[in-house]
Amino acid sequence: MSVRDDLAERVGVDLEAIDPLRVALYATLVGLVAFYLSPLESGLMTALKTEAEFATSPPFVPPTVEGFTLEPFGVALNTLSSAILNSIMLAVPATVLSALFGSFAAYGLTNFEWRGQLGVVALFIAGIFIPYQAVLIPLSRLWAIVDTQELLAPVLDITVFSAQVPVLGTVELATHPHYASIINLIITHTAYGIPITTLLFRGYYKKLSTEMLEAARLDGASAFTIYRRIVLPLSMPMFAVTLIYQFTQVWNDLLFALIIIPSGSGPAAVATIALNELTGGIIQTFNTQMAGAFVAALPTLLVYVLFGDKFAKGVAGNT
Amino acid sequence: MADLTLDHVSKFFDDGGSKVVAVDDASVTIEDGEFLVLVGPSGCGKSTTLRMIAGLETVSEGEIRLGDDRMDNRPPRDRDIAMVFQSYALYPHMTVRGNMRFGLEESTEMADADIDELVEETSSMLGIADLLDRKPGELSGGQQQRVALGRAIVRDPEVFLMDEPLSNLDAKLRSQMRTELQRLQEDLGVTTVYVTHDQTEAMTMGDRIAILNDGELQQVATPLEAYHRPANRFVAGFIGEPSMNFFEMDVQGDELVGDAFSYDLSAKSAEAVEGSERVTLGIRPEDVEVIGDAAADHAYETTVDVVEPMGNENAVYLELGGERRFVATVGGMRRVEAGESVVARIPEDAVHLFDATTGETLQNRSLESADLDAPEANL
Repeated sequence: MSVRDDLAERVGVDLEAIDPLRVALYATLVGLVAFYLSPLESGLMTALKTEAEFATSPPFVPPTVEGFTLEPFGVALNTLSSAILNSIMLAVPATVLSALFGSFAAYGLTNFEWRGQLGVVALFIAGIFIPYQAVLIPLSRLWAIVDTQELLAPVLDITVFSAQVPVLGTVELATHPHYASIINLIITHTAYGIPITTLLFRGYYKKLSTEMLEAARLDGASAFTIYRRIVLPLSMPMFAVTLIYQFTQVWNDLLFALIIIPSGSGPAAVATIALNELTGGIIQTFNTQMAGAFVAALPTLLVYVLFGDKFAKGVAGNT
Repeated sequence: MADLTLDHVSKFFDDGGSKVVAVDDASVTIEDGEFLVLVGPSGCGKSTTLRMIAGLETVSEGEIRLGDDRMDNRPPRDRDIAMVFQSYALYPHMTVRGNMRFGLEESTEMADADIDELVEETSSMLGIADLLDRKPGELSGGQQQRVALGRAIVRDPEVFLMDEPLSNLDAKLRSQMRTELQRLQEDLGVTTVYVTHDQTEAMTMGDRIAILNDGELQQVATPLEAYHRPANRFVAGFIGEPSMNFFEMDVQGDELVGDAFSYDLSAKSAEAVEGSERVTLGIRPEDVEVIGDAAADHAYETTVDVVEPMGNENAVYLELGGERRFVATVGGMRRVEAGESVVARIPEDAVHLFDATTGETLQNRSLESADLDAPEANL
């Protein structure tokens, strides 16, 4: 009995049956996984190290006991907390509004017939392909001319945007004139999101049964009632898709934020801008930067987790 | 309660500049409580007609009236009609109860409790009371069909419109629902327009049937009248299974001469074909007599090509003069073998004669009982 057979018998595996191609396949897959995950892993490890530890060990090696610290996360949370709140105040309304308007537009463009409809659809589609860079100057000019704070003054005093919270009393969410620029940013992102959300909803609404919508009309429902009681409830999977997509887009956007939120506007900065404050000046503090990146990415991850199953349904086109 | 009148109704579609006629000048009055079946091959305009009554399509020309009220210019919601669709068109996210309530909530001011009561009542009438809290996706095709019916019935409309409501059911369930639907309509006494391409449904369900072809109304008649006294060749060929046999023939005095055989006409028939050069002779398969004796008049030597046994009867495909095939039905117990030589008699009293160019009926078969208007009396 050879050593090889002996080994095979002991581990209970027929070594002859192992396909070398399959071994190669799995090895390649494991290699690819490592390749994709290594930056993430290195980032996490760096975020858990002291600066001294980071300077002396390769980035992907886990921290030693002495070198382990949660301090970078503390610093990151401290620095970013208000910016993350700003980002939430920006991303949630911008996402919900663009999904809702996209859904309205798609319903009107898909489930009704009117003259010139296709031309309007074409304009919506063209809207998707306008590069951000092409509109930066017009956008900054526009928001320089339009004084949102002044416009909204009769209905809403943005400078003291406060809310009554039980137990805590009055919580002032925003107390800076620059907060008007967050509203500008909400409007901009909503407008920019509408073409793609319209297109997504349109694809979905095309598949709705015409007979069902006709049945609702014969049942006496108006166009808006049909939307509210039939189309809207049936579009939840597509809302999950657009919410996730738009939330990620708006949350991660830096370009519009840099243009629309005036520089040095500290309190109004969104997370992507505030991340810059973690660089630490002349000496790069990589650990706090990495911790900041994780903190800033957390909300998008949460959104995926919350809407993930609906997202899958929407992508698969199930009604 | 009132009659539903289609008064010279036409529908044109614009197809890239050219006008397509979907429905051409259709006039029919459906009496209060009547069950009218609109039947015809696909693309004949029957669904368009129904959709015009529903208000889902506009009327290009003509008027639709309910009683004396013109309704073709009103939106669907103001027409007091309910429609049952082929796909059932249920709202998938609502329960059966929600589906049945929807129309009442949207079109009436009824109190919630009254709506609930009506829905419960209707659902037990249809035998779906125990399904009220389920969603359409959890129901079988037959159950969904009942919910769709229930949704129409609770509305208590002036007119029911049904667009091939049974065609998605399997054969067994379909014939069961056919009877049930008929009984239901009789009990409710609501004027019903029923669209189908299935001539069995047309024959069995309708008080009257309206046969459409190429957008033109061919005939509106009781089922038996349409069967025995078709207005033209199209109706004769469309109603009846297997279809009527047709032979194109030349008129030569009091004789018809065709490719395969000639046919002597009686004085009466000869008079009917006077003025036509070419006619179509029609005979229903069950009227072709398969006999043994070639000496009888209007009897022809034929060869049996194919036999289709149906149990109660056999459809026998006969060859005449080498290739002309036609069908005869004989009793199910009678043995006829392929290849056998038999004599087929085409009795003159069962023959229909149509003008070969226009298709108009020149003479229908003679019948002893002339009472075709009241189908119940003949059944």
